[in-house]
Amino acid sequence: MVNVIFIIVIGLGAAFLLGLLRENWRNAAYALTIGSLVSMAWIAARWLLFFAVEGGTTVEVFTAGTEPPFAINLRMGIAEAVLLLVVIFSGLLSAVYMSKSLFRLGGRAMSVLLVFIMALCGIILTRDIFNLFVFFELAVIATAGLLLISENKQALSAGFKYLIISQLVSVFLLIGIIFTYHVSGSLNIDTIAGVSLDTMKGIGSLAFFFMLIAVLTEAKPFPANGWALDIYESAHPAFSAMFSAAMAGSAAVYAVDKLLLIGGQQWLPVVTAIGLLSFVAANLLALAQTNDRRTLGYSSVGQVGLILAVIGQRDILGDNYLFIAGGILLSHAVAKAGLYWISGLIGQRNLTDWAVLRRHPMLILSFVSFIAMLSGLPPFPSFYAKWDLVMILATENRLWILAFILLGSLLEASYLFRWFGYILKRETPRQEKNEVENKSPLLSLVPHKLLVIFSALATSWGLAYLWGELSAYDNLFYALPLLFALSFLLLEWVSVWIKNTLAIAGMVAYFVISYPLYDPLQIIFAAIFLLGGAVILLASYHVHGRRIGFYPSAMLMFAGLAMLVVAEDSFHFFAAWEFLTIGSYFMILRGKNSEPHALSYIIFSLGGAFLILTGFALAAQGVVLFNLGSLAHVAAPIAPWVFLLLAIGFMTKTAAIGLHIWLPGAHAEAETDVSPMVSGILLKAGLFGLMVLLMNMGKQQLYGIELTYVMLWIGALTAFLGNLMAVFQEDAKRLLAYSSIGQMGYALFGLALMNQLGWLMALMFVINHYIYKSMLFLSVGGVAKRTGTRDMYKMGGLIAMMPLSFIAVLIGIIAVSGVPPLSGFGGRWIFYNAILSSEYRLPMMLIFISGPIAFLYLFRLIHTIFLGQLKDDHRQIKEAPFWIMLPQMIYVAALMVFAVVPGLLLRHVDAYLSPFFAESAARGGLNWQGLTITSDYGYWSPIPIMVIIAIIFALLFAWLVFVNRKAQKVKQFNIVYSAERPFRPETTHFAWNFFAPYRKAMGFLIQPFVTRFWETLTELLHTIADLFRRFYTGNGQTYAIQLLAFVVVVYLFRVEF
Amino acid sequence: MIKRVIVLLFLLGLGLLFIAFMQGYTPDSELNLTGRYYAEHTAQDIGATNIVTAIIVTYRGLDTIGEVTVLFLTAAIVGMLLSRGNRKGKSLQRELPQSGELLTTGSYLLVPLILLLGAYVFINGHLTPGGGFQGGAIVASAILLMLLTDPLRHFSHQLIAIVESISGLLFVIIGVLGLFYAGGFLDNRILPTGELGSLFSAGAIPVIYSLIGLKVGAEFSSMLVNLSETEDS
Amino acid sequence: MVQIAMATGFILILMGLYGALTNHNILRIIVSFSVANTGVNIILVAVGYMHGRTAPILNEAVPVAEAAARIIDPVPQALVLTAIVIGLGITTLMLAFAYKLYERKGTLDISKFSELKW
Repeated sequence: MVNVIFIIVIGLGAAFLLGLLRENWRNAAYALTIGSLVSMAWIAARWLLFFAVEGGTTVEVFTAGTEPPFAINLRMGIAEAVLLLVVIFSGLLSAVYMSKSLFRLGGRAMSVLLVFIMALCGIILTRDIFNLFVFFELAVIATAGLLLISENKQALSAGFKYLIISQLVSVFLLIGIIFTYHVSGSLNIDTIAGVSLDTMKGIGSLAFFFMLIAVLTEAKPFPANGWALDIYESAHPAFSAMFSAAMAGSAAVYAVDKLLLIGGQQWLPVVTAIGLLSFVAANLLALAQTNDRRTLGYSSVGQVGLILAVIGQRDILGDNYLFIAGGILLSHAVAKAGLYWISGLIGQRNLTDWAVLRRHPMLILSFVSFIAMLSGLPPFPSFYAKWDLVMILATENRLWILAFILLGSLLEASYLFRWFGYILKRETPRQEKNEVENKSPLLSLVPHKLLVIFSALATSWGLAYLWGELSAYDNLFYALPLLFALSFLLLEWVSVWIKNTLAIAGMVAYFVISYPLYDPLQIIFAAIFLLGGAVILLASYHVHGRRIGFYPSAMLMFAGLAMLVVAEDSFHFFAAWEFLTIGSYFMILRGKNSEPHALSYIIFSLGGAFLILTGFALAAQGVVLFNLGSLAHVAAPIAPWVFLLLAIGFMTKTAAIGLHIWLPGAHAEAETDVSPMVSGILLKAGLFGLMVLLMNMGKQQLYGIELTYVMLWIGALTAFLGNLMAVFQEDAKRLLAYSSIGQMGYALFGLALMNQLGWLMALMFVINHYIYKSMLFLSVGGVAKRTGTRDMYKMGGLIAMMPLSFIAVLIGIIAVSGVPPLSGFGGRWIFYNAILSSEYRLPMMLIFISGPIAFLYLFRLIHTIFLGQLKDDHRQIKEAPFWIMLPQMIYVAALMVFAVVPGLLLRHVDAYLSPFFAESAARGGLNWQGLTITSDYGYWSPIPIMVIIAIIFALLFAWLVFVNRKAQKVKQFNIVYSAERPFRPETTHFAWNFFAPYRKAMGFLIQPFVTRFWETLTELLHTIADLFRRFYTGNGQTYAIQLLAFVVVVYLFRVEF
Repeated sequence: MIKRVIVLLFLLGLGLLFIAFMQGYTPDSELNLTGRYYAEHTAQDIGATNIVTAIIVTYRGLDTIGEVTVLFLTAAIVGMLLSRGNRKGKSLQRELPQSGELLTTGSYLLVPLILLLGAYVFINGHLTPGGGFQGGAIVASAILLMLLTDPLRHFSHQLIAIVESISGLLFVIIGVLGLFYAGGFLDNRILPTGELGSLFSAGAIPVIYSLIGLKVGAEFSSMLVNLSETEDS
Repeated sequence: MVQIAMATGFILILMGLYGALTNHNILRIIVSFSVANTGVNIILVAVGYMHGRTAPILNEAVPVAEAAARIIDPVPQALVLTAIVIGLGITTLMLAFAYKLYERKGTLDISKFSELKW
């Protein structure tokens, strides 16, 4: 094993040696730099291997042949080894990345780089407080030097601001060190930590405060960090990568960690508070940023704050400390360095300028992986770390900390994903032809820079695997569905035909393989998720080319769904939930105008997911693998809270009223075959979660309020308002989307009834809604594809052009509206039975009213689109493509079959459910005999109904033909508007604002209160962010005053702890 | 004005903390753990009579190597900074008045003496007050004197850089030798500790301190030269 | 003795910081920080001082055997040397930066260098 001191020796020796090389021997100088970084990395890696694989124990390295505390000593343990690797690798890769700049500036710049890396290694290794100071100063000076590499002229002033701050920091640090020395008689951290606490009282703790605050400042806490943001904005991106990943994210936080050995437990809350404040505030202020590097700077400040907060929790983290802190730290390091490296490829500094990445799938994959890492999404290390952290915080009842961490994460995710939306959806900036040559190109793909970025990408996935292996849970990479989804990343180059076929085959095969393992409830959901998904995928055959990005996202969503159904414990359930969320987000984002809607979808979903996470954490109370069945045994004081959190989380996905605003846009703007997937299939995931929740936790009371009763009301209101809003839509897909909200309201209502019939009805809705909503979205999508518009008043008379679509829509709306003879009626029938057998009359009324309302809008689909006059531009229209029609025809058949034999599926479920509702089954159960179903209030026999309806229909039709036999055909003609062109042509169309009278009567109900509420909230956040960031005036002196104020204020607050 | 008040206010807060330090401070009457160890062991272990030197060069040698690096780094960065951009040609420099006979001759007389004194100070660092940093600063003052006498004098950056680098490199190498031939990195006992109080004693300390002296002298000179060459407009 | 030195040090720090935080001229700021640094160095030395003792150099006056009872604490003396050198390094660097900043804008007013903000 090579002595660790050689890391420092090599760094220093090479730096001095560089001075000997001639000015023009740049190649040799560069080779020396890279060579020494590689050998430093090798030493660190060798040690890591020693600790991690060979089971080595921590080693103390003495200098000067004297034992500590009389000489400086270094310590090498597993944490040090990992951090050294982070530092050295970020240095090595950055050195490769900025090779051109280093060549330009010559050996001096290279030796500054080497000293920078060496100093950071020293900060990590040393166990002596004064030595820590020396290495910090080295790092500071080297930072000032490396800033000069930047081509941004402002870097100079950023460097000066940093020097001012570091002067203050060194004053504080030295005062702290000398008085600590005075009190303890030593400079060695471990010796001081061993000194009894009594000695450390009085000026001892004051001295420690000065040291701590000085070192904390290097971790750039809010609000004493304006200088750091200026550095991030102006420095060379490769240096910012090091500054963020290695200096703040590794060395400084580790120094804080070491110092806390001296201060002990009583200082942990201080570090936590500073960390949390930074995490939340920095992410809030980042909302208002437009400059990419500054945004990353804010994010960096936030992430380091999070690491500090984790360090502040080390008293309760126990053995998991390294796993959690390491997971977050490494995620931040890799992701932030990667993002900075990407920013170096891009010529302009606005966030929207990143749209130039759009044509480069590998770079997009890198970007996505990095932001997923930062947001703590699976399968990356930060996901495992955050999960464990939240579990422990909930168990130890530190709920405020938990809340702040989740709030900060949500804020961070929202601007990161907004940024991703820009990349995919904003207009690619164009290089002005006549601009001067020397202006940097919009995107420069330099091979060695790409190599650096892709190695960060590879590291991110490697770490994801590693953290899976280390976690107390299964490695998510061993989940077959996930692997299947990820393998599509490798297949991006093949055509849609092959990928689609593979996808369908895989989904069907997985269903068949898992079939024996499912219980009846799971069969229904799995069938909808996997088989249902496969049917919709048939429509995807109509796309030609390669459709890059579609299959990995779609398969990720389906993988999440498949894993969700079989999840037995909260960890797997949550991981699956996150997978399906991310996958569906990517799919929704593919729509042409879906950028804002996809964003609100992901923010709502992540918010919901955090609630679910908290709910599970509260429920688990420290149990590592928390079985979902154990939800039933959660004790009284927390049980209703668990219920509440989980329920709200799941209701975000089902778009219950109040949380629904993301849905219409997301579903309507999605691509033709994506809309049915996210509407017909994805919404059911929320219902599945609610079922699992209700089945296990049953009725819960919070402050005397029956929570299921509240849910009942929410369900009823959602059904009513959802349908009402659908009535006034002009856009056919939006209409369907609002209709989905209403339908989910029904299902929610049924579940909340908490009796067997209610549940049966909910399940009936699950199946029916999947079939007809998928079908309608496909047919409307097909029509929209042919006509080029989704506004219904721009269509008309398409029945002759698209007869098959007409049939599908007709059958669909009959099914939705719940009139006999189709399965929708079955649903309604069970439904009416269910509500008649329960006591809640008032919400029931709402539900009753929503039925006819639904008919109002459904009728428009036929009336406005297919009947009436054909528009001039639609005369040459053809039927929708075969592949879009095929699934619709399958659905038509399925609806028929399901209408005739509803019992086929439901009776099994009924039998499965009855033990859960033993008491209510006694009085309200269903009786299944042959094809007939009997309840307390009557019976439903599908075949006779079908026959009767058929006869009525035939008679009416015959009568109509008879009456109209003499009708005269009139040709369509142009209407002349009294020689005047209308200002808004659509106002002359009869179908526009079709239900104006109703709008007059009931419009007040659908005022967008909820939308306005969320919009106001968002605006408020942005305003606050925009206001508070002005706090960073850009004046270096002001920053110094802020730091001084920070020190004094923190000390005042510390007295409180 | 408001700014001044705010600053005063916070400085007042800081001042209160300082007062707390003053009040809580009780001077030691005995040497503490570390100080006692150095007082008792330096002579026999290290062989240096100047205990501070023993601490700087050996016990806390890692600090010192860092310290030397700070200067190296500063010199390098100042060089980078000031050589950047459009350095105007020497021909454009303004005409300076003659320095005068007295000054020139005086400096010729003094410079060798100053250099000698500097060398004496760093070579005897383990015996008397002083050492590499002090000696180096004295050496650099000779350069300063030369610059003051003739601001346009040209010094070879190359030479300074070579002295700087070689002495730094040798420092590191001697440190590593300690790793192999004595107790650890920067252990001075790779050479015999010799008789207490003689010039050739204290192991490698005189060597290291001389190197530090050269290096510090070179670095200060490099900074001075670089800063003086900005005087071009 | 010690108290006086220490008070002087603290006052120098406060004075230096006041100057650094209120002066607009960059050069004045740098000088102010030098004052503050000097204050810190005085405190460093003052903490190591012990009344009635001598410098930690072994000679006729301080025989090896009695060293522990005769000398002042040598550690702060070693630390202060390092602190001085580092302070010097940073001051030099600040001066060089100041020169470059002046070259760019023709002013030394720190509030004029606030293009990076928010």
